[in-house]
Amino acid sequence: MRKCLPLFLLAFLALGSTCFAEDMKVGFVYVSPVGDAGYSYAHDQGRLAVEAMDGVTTSFVESVAEGQDSERVIMNMARKGYDVIFATSYGYMDPMLKVAKDFPKVKFLHCSGYKNAENMANYFGRIYQARYLTGMVAGAMTKSNVLGYVAAFPIPEVIRGINAFTLGAQAVNPDVQVRVVWTKTWYDPATEKEAGKSLLDVGCDVIAQHQDSPGPQEAAQERGVYSVGYNTDMSAFAPKSHLTAAIWNWGPFYTEMVQQIKDGTWKSDFYWYGLDKGIVDIAPFGEMVPADVQKTVLDKKAEIASGAYQVFTGPIKDQAGVEKVAAGTVMADGDLLGFNWFVQGVVGTLE
Amino acid sequence: MLQLSAVRRQEPLGWGSCLVFLAALALAFVVSGLLLAMQGKPPASALWLLVHSAFGSGYALEDCLIKAIPIFLCSLGVGLTFRLQIWNIGAEGQFALGAVGATWAALTFPDWPWYTLLPTMLICASLTGSLWGIIPAVLRLKLRTNEIIVTLMLNYVGILILEYLVYGAWKDPGSFGFPMTSEFVPAAVVARIGDTRLNWGLLLCLAVGVLMTVFLRSTRLGFELRACGENVRAARYARMPYSLLVILVMGVSGALAGWAGFLEASATLGRLQPSIMSGYGYTAIVVAWLANLNPLIIAVSSFLLAGLRVGMESLQLDLQIPAAFGAIMEGFILLAVLAGGFFSRYRLHLRRIG
Amino acid sequence: MTPEILLALLAATVQAGTPILYATLGEILTEKGGILNLGVEGMMLVGALVGFLTALHTGSPVLAFVAGGLAGACMAALHGVVCIWFMGNQVVSGLALTIFGTGLAGFFGTPYIGRTAPGFDKFSLPVLGDLPGLGTIFFQQDALVYLSYIIPPLLWAFFRYTRWGMAIRAAGESPAATRAAGLNVLAYRWAALLGGGMLVGFGGSYLSLAYTHLWTNGLTAGRGWIAVALVIFAFWRPSRAMIGAYLFGGVMAFQLRLQAMGTALPSSILLMLPYVLTIAALAFSSWRSDRTQAPAALGVNMEPSE
Repeated sequence: MRKCLPLFLLAFLALGSTCFAEDMKVGFVYVSPVGDAGYSYAHDQGRLAVEAMDGVTTSFVESVAEGQDSERVIMNMARKGYDVIFATSYGYMDPMLKVAKDFPKVKFLHCSGYKNAENMANYFGRIYQARYLTGMVAGAMTKSNVLGYVAAFPIPEVIRGINAFTLGAQAVNPDVQVRVVWTKTWYDPATEKEAGKSLLDVGCDVIAQHQDSPGPQEAAQERGVYSVGYNTDMSAFAPKSHLTAAIWNWGPFYTEMVQQIKDGTWKSDFYWYGLDKGIVDIAPFGEMVPADVQKTVLDKKAEIASGAYQVFTGPIKDQAGVEKVAAGTVMADGDLLGFNWFVQGVVGTLE
Repeated sequence: MLQLSAVRRQEPLGWGSCLVFLAALALAFVVSGLLLAMQGKPPASALWLLVHSAFGSGYALEDCLIKAIPIFLCSLGVGLTFRLQIWNIGAEGQFALGAVGATWAALTFPDWPWYTLLPTMLICASLTGSLWGIIPAVLRLKLRTNEIIVTLMLNYVGILILEYLVYGAWKDPGSFGFPMTSEFVPAAVVARIGDTRLNWGLLLCLAVGVLMTVFLRSTRLGFELRACGENVRAARYARMPYSLLVILVMGVSGALAGWAGFLEASATLGRLQPSIMSGYGYTAIVVAWLANLNPLIIAVSSFLLAGLRVGMESLQLDLQIPAAFGAIMEGFILLAVLAGGFFSRYRLHLRRIG
Repeated sequence: MTPEILLALLAATVQAGTPILYATLGEILTEKGGILNLGVEGMMLVGALVGFLTALHTGSPVLAFVAGGLAGACMAALHGVVCIWFMGNQVVSGLALTIFGTGLAGFFGTPYIGRTAPGFDKFSLPVLGDLPGLGTIFFQQDALVYLSYIIPPLLWAFFRYTRWGMAIRAAGESPAATRAAGLNVLAYRWAALLGGGMLVGFGGSYLSLAYTHLWTNGLTAGRGWIAVALVIFAFWRPSRAMIGAYLFGGVMAFQLRLQAMGTALPSSILLMLPYVLTIAALAFSSWRSDRTQAPAALGVNMEPSE
């Protein structure tokens, strides 16, 4: 009996240590409030997927200003023993890099940037693929051939989205034109709705947006025309006008990263997944979208997901009519990341 | 029956003022705690966490000091103007313009050594910042335009000017089209002090604080500003025309806020981008009023309010309390102190009538 | 710009100017009584949030609108406590109220970002809505806009012909004389403050119930401050307040439409227009008035009587 006791103790301790093993702590830093039904909300849905994993706890800080505040928040998380930190806005890049240097054991992942280190990776989603598909729907549904785009800031990801949307629309409707209005805000429903209305006043009959609030959707529904949402399915706000939306689906990516880190197989890299991995998608079609349009779009989606079709394949001309991408050439990722010109058919300034 | 009435004190309340101030602070904490409880957050542990994470470690103290620098500079300037009953709400815009001025120098003279470049940046920041303070001053003098509105509108315009520049002419060609200038050359960056994360801007604050204290105590104008705060009398005593006084004070105020902008762009960010704006200009209003133009108290108050900001982040991370809670505390502290000022100036009498 | 676009712009102008109009009228009422309340921005936000929450939970936009007004009045009451009871500096108290109100709205409102609530929708008035031009601009709006048409004349009549209105004006012009005449100055100031606060709250809830059916932490985006400026521009007269409010609504609506029509002007510059215009309008009206039109005792606290 006495000989068995130490064995029992050992077994108990071994069992106990696995039960009481420290949960992996994963932190998220958001640039806007989580409930905005938009960008940060989509990231937070991904966080919830990670929270559901075994042996992992998550936490987040929202509305963190880029710059010094973010550096402190990230540093706090690292100091409090977080093992993985996700920072979801471009402006967090430099602060995160600084902190990553001081905390080599912690894994840092930065969204929408390009600077990395051995323990810091970049990631983003090829939402432009989803934009292309939504553009196809808009191009098919428009009667006035003028599409409106309420956009936040003239940065590459927004420009890229507008271009992809335009190319998609032109693929089904070559005469289509896309008008852009800059609101210079990510989330201001009043201004965004007014911007939507101003586009409607000049003859647009489909409103798309790169904004985080459903303001433009409301504007479209009130006027009885169509709209395309962003970030999440916005049909709850505009059931009669919402055709579809370009949405994020971060869950699979976040869980994959956390699992890799847990398993020790993670490497710092530049992860830019798209439809192929299901990181981006289009929201379910509204009832008003005819079946043949749905089929065309879904076929294209399968093509893009399999890699058979690349969205930014030449010939592509810019606003002035100059050919920027030769026929048959596919734009390189580097050019996509630094996109600073509009394709032909877009009416709007770049500042 | 009993009647409560108030009589103005013949002599101001001395140490009692301090007690009144502390009582106001306590009230603000109680109310904040109540609001937390309404949202289902534990009030006592939240407030303790706030204080502890702001001041409870060397690291946090460093954070507070870093954050206190821009608040201090802005508050000093704003406090000066308040003393003259000039309501300068424009510290945000003056901050932005100062950052713009300093950035212009950094981008135009990247080859200069630091001992010429940094002072140039400082001077440029002073010029642009004080310009943004003088415009409302001139409008007030010449056209009797209310400076509260003008300075506030110029806040919005100043931030838009900053955005216009970083989205356009000053955009960094190497940052993939994101709105920011290129990183400043090392000569344009205010260095860190040794191994800490503090920067030499702290020295600038010290110098400015000392200068301001000397000015307020040893010069005629300074004494008058401290003593009565009544604008025309101050000017007469200093034998300075009132208009010159207004322009001087608003210019200095703008320059000080501009220095804060310069330090944020140079030491903290190392480049200019829209996220440099953090609302320091508005916090400065709270500090300036609480501290009543005593540079030492301004320094302490800046540190405390910086601590509020630092502590708020822990509240967010650990208790998921929204960031807006910090503004609630700032605003209510000011309201409570304003109300408490009544007891410093008036005595309550309970009388029996009839 | 085609006639259709112009008409649409003018109709949008009226809608965009309405929240500013409510807030301006409220501040005029308050300031006529001699109280300077700079907390308009914070009060509008609280009004917007309370209105939004009420609509969300009760489903009644009318109840929500009233609730928003009451919330504005409560915030104004806070200002009254600090300034009328405790003789605090009115300028600083108003600024503190803005900071506090903004924080309060954000604190309670953050969980509700991204939700939508029932609100007011546009409908055309029976005969008036069919008028060419004017009908499109003025009479195809929502109920709250129609309400805002009748408040300025009501306010004007109130100040001119009613006992309460005249007493409030007297309290703002010469409180000492008013008190000597046997009137309770403080009571009238409270009335002006609370009534004004209610109108400001209405302005805020317009944004979350009619202008959009959404809530966000910064919904007012500086409109409260423009309202404070417009009070001066309007020379404290309700009729001029309408002109000012629509002018600024128009600038806000215009710069977006300019972009939509296609312009080479950078959007940052266009966004500056409302603010630059406010400064210009203010400078112009201050310059033009030979004597100040403000109530003589504006912003000055009354000494407590023995």
